[in-house]
Amino acid sequence: MKQTILSLALLGIGSAAAAQQPGQPAATVIAIPPLTSPNGGSQGNEMLAVGWQVTQQIESDLRQTAEVMPLQPNRDDYYSYPEVTAPTFSKWRAKGAKALVTGFVQARQDGRLTVGCYVYDLDKGRELARKGFAIGPNDWRRAAHKCSGLAYTAITGAPGIFDTMIAYVAESGIGDGRMRRIALMDSDGYNHRYLTAGDAMVLTPRLAPKATQLAYVSFAGGKPGVHLFDLASNQDRSLLPNDAMSFAPRFSPDGNKIAFSMMTGANSDIYAAKSAGGAPQRLTSAPGVDTDPSFSPDGSRIVFESDRGGSQQLYVMNADGTGQRRISFGGGWYGSPVWSPDGQWIAFTRRGQDGRRVGVMRPDGTAERILTNGPADEGPAWAASSREILFQRAGANGTAGLARIALDGSEPRAVTIPQGGSDPDWSGVVD
Amino acid sequence: MRKMLVAAVLLIGAAAAEAQLPGLRRRGPQAQQPQQQALLQGIEALRADFAAQSGGTTVYFAAESVGLSVAARTTLAAQANWLRRHPEVVVRIEGYGDAGDTRDHALAVGARRAEEARAYLVLMGVPAAQLSASTWGKERPGLGRAATILVR
Repeated sequence: MKQTILSLALLGIGSAAAAQQPGQPAATVIAIPPLTSPNGGSQGNEMLAVGWQVTQQIESDLRQTAEVMPLQPNRDDYYSYPEVTAPTFSKWRAKGAKALVTGFVQARQDGRLTVGCYVYDLDKGRELARKGFAIGPNDWRRAAHKCSGLAYTAITGAPGIFDTMIAYVAESGIGDGRMRRIALMDSDGYNHRYLTAGDAMVLTPRLAPKATQLAYVSFAGGKPGVHLFDLASNQDRSLLPNDAMSFAPRFSPDGNKIAFSMMTGANSDIYAAKSAGGAPQRLTSAPGVDTDPSFSPDGSRIVFESDRGGSQQLYVMNADGTGQRRISFGGGWYGSPVWSPDGQWIAFTRRGQDGRRVGVMRPDGTAERILTNGPADEGPAWAASSREILFQRAGANGTAGLARIALDGSEPRAVTIPQGGSDPDWSGVVD
Repeated sequence: MRKMLVAAVLLIGAAAAEAQLPGLRRRGPQAQQPQQQALLQGIEALRADFAAQSGGTTVYFAAESVGLSVAARTTLAAQANWLRRHPEVVVRIEGYGDAGDTRDHALAVGARRAEEARAYLVLMGVPAAQLSASTWGKERPGLGRAATILVR
């Protein structure tokens, strides 16, 4: 869709306009009247009630974004089932909207629900996208996330972050005895759960692109080792058959491979292994520390950090280990690089005398920009949209927490979690 | 009440750490008083003797460095002297990174420090099979160091 920018100030929704930063493009206004239902009678009323919950969730999802601004849904804007695919465009244009979401919730014979969502361009009066799916009777929140993602992608061209998952290390207690568990939640904070029991120290959970698996580092054997956790079966296993020290795992974009670092003697090198198992392939051999590999979205290249030149810096190589070259030259030390899902940026932690900060640069090392103020920010992870970064931020009392920041330079926001947290990772859109 | 809870949490924390890593068990106060050494038995007695005769179980590194200092070599040589006389003892060298580092780089630096210390002990005549190396990265507070732990 050729996006038309409409100033919010013209729409007479002053409070929303006030939230806009000067110099930033205004958001696309979208109307979300309540989802309807083809069912009649009391069942129809039930479905309308579910539809209203879905509608409010879509509004709440889209309101979090910088690019799409939902109008407040109104229960009086009821429409009939045939109008789902034949909406009255002029009505919503008159309210200042540029886009429209319609949809329905239908009860099925098997007790499940069918949810359909449709996105329209009001200026052109045509459909942009549609999606239908069957869900369990209590899964309306996921249905809403799917609709929100459909609308967000139709308007911005980028994947939405609504149906994604966040993994991190939950920390409770203090000092050496603090308990650390791998925690997993929906990106909106719902369905929070712990995957490990807390009897062994754990670090760096890394989700497979569609959050089907999770790789992490466990100290259960007395030394760090990469483990793989299957989220469908809850099976947990070591990636490597031996007890070599291994850490810094990261999935390839297709989920079939894991790059990680492994110690051989005093040398840390980068290896890649099939996530299904098999012998790892060695990708680097420089003396010193090579670690934190991260694949480009097409899987053809890997960014990593190395201190082969005397200080910790970022390097890019082909996925088979050839063509290694340094890309960071900004002064200080650079670590924990992560390639953005759209391929445009590499996020990193820059370390200097004044602490650790999170920044971004182009994959060729140009256009470096530090995004956060420190002094103890690290471990960036990309949103599926490539427009936001989740990172670890230690507070004044030393307790680590999670925060997210948009690339547009707005203030970071704290992510609400039950206790302390570190090492966040953010999945792609879940199937 | 709150104090009791905090104390309980601390106790649980300490117990968890010990359960997880026998090698990290803190030496009791008696371990530092030679006249009470007779009260210690088994591995605890060996640990106390090792610490007393080696002049230290831990060697320290300059920030960002994995090189052994002269003082570190002296300590490791004394450790090697003791370990050669106790070939039955299983030993783990645990390396620690720098607190200001990034997580995975600190893990690698800790592993390198442990390996440097291990290699020096081997150079000083300790059988390599007796020694293993591990790392805690920056996950435990304190200076960059490598600690020689008698496991059993």
